[in-house]
Amino acid sequence: MSDTVLSLDAVEKVFPNGVRGLAPVDLTVRAGEFVSLIGPSGCGKSTLLKLIANLHGPSAGSLRWWGSDFRGVGQKGRRLAFVFQDATLMPWANVGRNVRLPLDLMGVDRASGDARARTALARVGLGHAAERYPAQLSGGMRMRVSIARALVTEPDLLLMDEPFGALDEFTRNRLDEEMARLCYQDGLTTLFVTHALHEAAFLSSNVMVMAAHPGRIHARYAIDRTIVRDEAFRLSERFAEISRELAVLLEAASHESHLAAEMQT
Amino acid sequence: MRSAQAISILAPVLLGIVVLALWQGACRLWHIPPYLMPSPSDIAAALWHDGPALLHALLSTLEVTFAALAAAVIGGVLVAFLLVQSPLIERCLMPYVVIMQVTPIVAIAPLIIILVKTTPVALTLCAALIAIFPVISNTLQGLRSVDPDLAAYFRMYKASRLQTLFRLRVPSALPMFMAGLRIATGLSLVGAVVAEFVAGTGGNSAGLAYEILQSGFQMDIPRMFAALFLITVAGLALYGATAGLQRAVLRHRA
Repeated sequence: MSDTVLSLDAVEKVFPNGVRGLAPVDLTVRAGEFVSLIGPSGCGKSTLLKLIANLHGPSAGSLRWWGSDFRGVGQKGRRLAFVFQDATLMPWANVGRNVRLPLDLMGVDRASGDARARTALARVGLGHAAERYPAQLSGGMRMRVSIARALVTEPDLLLMDEPFGALDEFTRNRLDEEMARLCYQDGLTTLFVTHALHEAAFLSSNVMVMAAHPGRIHARYAIDRTIVRDEAFRLSERFAEISRELAVLLEAASHESHLAAEMQT
Repeated sequence: MRSAQAISILAPVLLGIVVLALWQGACRLWHIPPYLMPSPSDIAAALWHDGPALLHALLSTLEVTFAALAAAVIGGVLVAFLLVQSPLIERCLMPYVVIMQVTPIVAIAPLIIILVKTTPVALTLCAALIAIFPVISNTLQGLRSVDPDLAAYFRMYKASRLQTLFRLRVPSALPMFMAGLRIATGLSLVGAVVAEFVAGTGGNSAGLAYEILQSGFQMDIPRMFAALFLITVAGLALYGATAGLQRAVLRHRA
């Protein structure tokens, strides 16, 4: 229990317009896990992520951070990092200063900020690129910078919202392998929102298949943590099997979402 | 690529030479008197002969231009920062900014020159009023053109107002501001010349506009063209300088 970074206990969200965004959701993320949220649109993935990012509060239920209620811990106490769909880098600043940004905003001094930025860049294979500018980088490299900017704060939990959706398949696969290494070798705990089934199958130790109307977790699917996530795994029978089983769950969740939507109208 | 670049420089230069040659030829062929239409060689002679006096006038015009530009940039940026602070402030002030913009400054220049006793200050004020609007509107638009995702990122890390201003808003506004500066630089020169025309000040601090007026009165048309030539060269130099500054400041952006 002590290794539980984040736990959601019967968390609900009703929007001011009366729409139920989330039915009671229970979710636990343990240290070192890679948890994916996958599901049809409107299933509350983004709502869930915003609750965890504390961009809005739950209507009912409680969120706990290392076992203590969110409200008690405060924003500073939760070491969270974010990676969005776009790299959202500052075009006027070089890569090193982009990665240092969260440290600058937290008031870390320049020298140690620079050192930590270099370490974080090395972890995503961009140790040589600190002096370059975002405009000089490819889409994949920009996304790596964005990941380094998240790593530099040494977060307890990394939240990723469809981070590689805009990249080509080859780049996306490389970055997925990179993420797998960061999680399963370096112990980075990650909560990952994705549309892509094969990405969830490749990366996750736990997949939450969500359904919509209202948003809820339809099924939970665990994947052996000890699998080495590399190119060979992507071609293996095991990967195909996981993808098939997830596809069946996702299909059922989508079907239920449609039925629920028809019931409402 | 290299040859394309060479053509883009050579072609207009060649065209210029051809036009000058035709101009010179036409003046010679039809014996057009210089007080009607001076030939390029007449203008060059006037430029050579009156050069020192005209350059002195140019310097005085440029003094007004730069003072006006500085005033327009400082004033314009301050007004833009004020306007962006709250929608209420903007709603109060924006109509007056627009009124100021649509009023031809030439029309109120005589008033300014009467009200403000010191002539150089009056000239600077007129030129600054002409140049300030693009600074205000571009800086304002720039301060608003912040990437919403990046702004959300700053909020998530609880960035302070000052941090958000200097690390996000100001750098985001820079491309629009530089474009505004480029327009304002050209307008400052226009404003300085227009103000000089209206004021008609002679004496030691007479600008190029005064030289043009005087040349007109004296039917010294080649000298008039020479003064015009100097204004154009000054305008080109200012344009080139701000374009270079713009490139240097924004060199790393896509």
